[in-house]
Amino acid sequence: MTGGSHLRFEAVTKRFDAPKGGIIDVLTPINLEIDRGAFVVFLGPSGCGKTTLMRMVGGLDTASSGRILLDGQPVAGPDRRRGMVPQSYSSFPWLTVAGNVAFGMRYRNDLTAAEKAERTAHYLNLVGLTDFADAFPKRISGGMRQRVAIARSLASGSEILLMDEPFGALDAQTREFLQEQLLEIQRREAKTVIFVTHDVEEAVFLADRIVVFSARPARVLEVVDVNAAIGTERTFEVKESDAFFRLRNHVLHLIRDQTRRLPPELTEAHS
Amino acid sequence: MSSTGAVSRVWGGLVAFRGTSSRRADLWLAVAAFAMVGGLWQASTSFGWTSPQFLPGPVAVFDALVTMFRDQNFLWHIGVSFVRVWSAFLISLVMALPLGILMSTYRLAGALNEPLIDFIRYLPVPALVPLTIIWLGIGEETKIALLWMGTFFQLVLLIADDMKRVPQEYVEIGFTLGAKPFRILKDVALPAMLPSLVDNLRITLGWCWTYLIIAEIVASDSGIGFVIWTARRYVKTPEVMAGILTIGLLGLLCDQAIRMAHRRWFRYL
Repeated sequence: MTGGSHLRFEAVTKRFDAPKGGIIDVLTPINLEIDRGAFVVFLGPSGCGKTTLMRMVGGLDTASSGRILLDGQPVAGPDRRRGMVPQSYSSFPWLTVAGNVAFGMRYRNDLTAAEKAERTAHYLNLVGLTDFADAFPKRISGGMRQRVAIARSLASGSEILLMDEPFGALDAQTREFLQEQLLEIQRREAKTVIFVTHDVEEAVFLADRIVVFSARPARVLEVVDVNAAIGTERTFEVKESDAFFRLRNHVLHLIRDQTRRLPPELTEAHS
Repeated sequence: MSSTGAVSRVWGGLVAFRGTSSRRADLWLAVAAFAMVGGLWQASTSFGWTSPQFLPGPVAVFDALVTMFRDQNFLWHIGVSFVRVWSAFLISLVMALPLGILMSTYRLAGALNEPLIDFIRYLPVPALVPLTIIWLGIGEETKIALLWMGTFFQLVLLIADDMKRVPQEYVEIGFTLGAKPFRILKDVALPAMLPSLVDNLRITLGWCWTYLIIAEIVASDSGIGFVIWTARRYVKTPEVMAGILTIGLLGLLCDQAIRMAHRRWFRYL
């Protein structure tokens, strides 16, 4: 039964052929359920396969076995219900900021030109870039470029935002600012977000739930209910609370144990 | 004092490792380089270092050029060559663009064509002259075909490379916004690769000009190549050199025109 969950992972696996023969397991059967409107963070040691799993939701990668259901329908390929915000090359350099946001609706025939213009203006305003509408991405900061990508995806009508370490290349101040802004947008627009990161503090601050993955082959170590531990209020002060501190340490330990382990291909080259 | 400061600042940028410069300094240096070569050339004839039979001076070459324009309809010959180069170049482009893009988009097209094109592009164009004459005769087709052979096979691979360098992120963003493969090519890949494509067109257009002589010495009665080849027969060295310089100058002008267009079109870079 698919039940009522928005997004459902059913025994999803991924394996690659190793360059020297044999098989590398990337994901061991993953079972997960994600509610509509939830902010879910995939956290795990680098190279563990969390990005691969997120890409599968977008239809940009395929599972070796198992399936992913979106509202009960198996995910087959990419479409605009699931929008992507990559870490780099996130905005098209040949289009202005407004052009980039409008690009999100280029393939929507159900909207009139006036509606598209209105939506462009709305989402530019939402991410605070109205004043930079006519600027090219080259002229704005890295953080602004990520906001362009978010606005473009929202304008296209994405229900789920797939964010692959979107703030990974930004400086600490910009990063904090964008984290708060993203939370505000996500809550206001009631979007589901899957956010991949290896930054524990970022994960705890942003997530409703953190899915902590083991080192490769990845399995779900723990699904951390962040709201239960620190509440739903997320302001800058939350980061200084004891509850936040304890939860961060708990997750940090989970991750640290994993990072200490040797990569599996060095220890178990099975065929 | 301040002017010496400015001079040393510009100079510092010019000689620093990967340093910077200004448009004006670049222009002056280019003029200086031409003037230096021209000066050396003039000196070698003035002081009699070389025989005017083999190396006529700049004045003699310039005189020859004037005569060619006045008495030999040289402007028309230039026009003929220009049309040949651009026809061959545009035919190459129209053919290479879809093929190059396909080669980098679908492995089937890439694996089928890459080795074949790599093989052909190493064949020297002059070696293909006899075969081309046998196949196409000595008409206009032969000349265009020779220019095309020198350009097309290089251009395909360059375009395939341009396409390959389009970040995967752009393509995936396109897909997650609901674009189908053809729209991705048209709306995402093409604009993304355009700046480097124009750069490569500029370079291959230059190569196309270099094959002009080969194409125009084959039973031709028109074009800059023909003029040079005819002058050679009568050992009119000034005219030979005037013809060569004309090709260089046309190449330089085309190149600068495309560079300028590049700067205007791609301000966003």
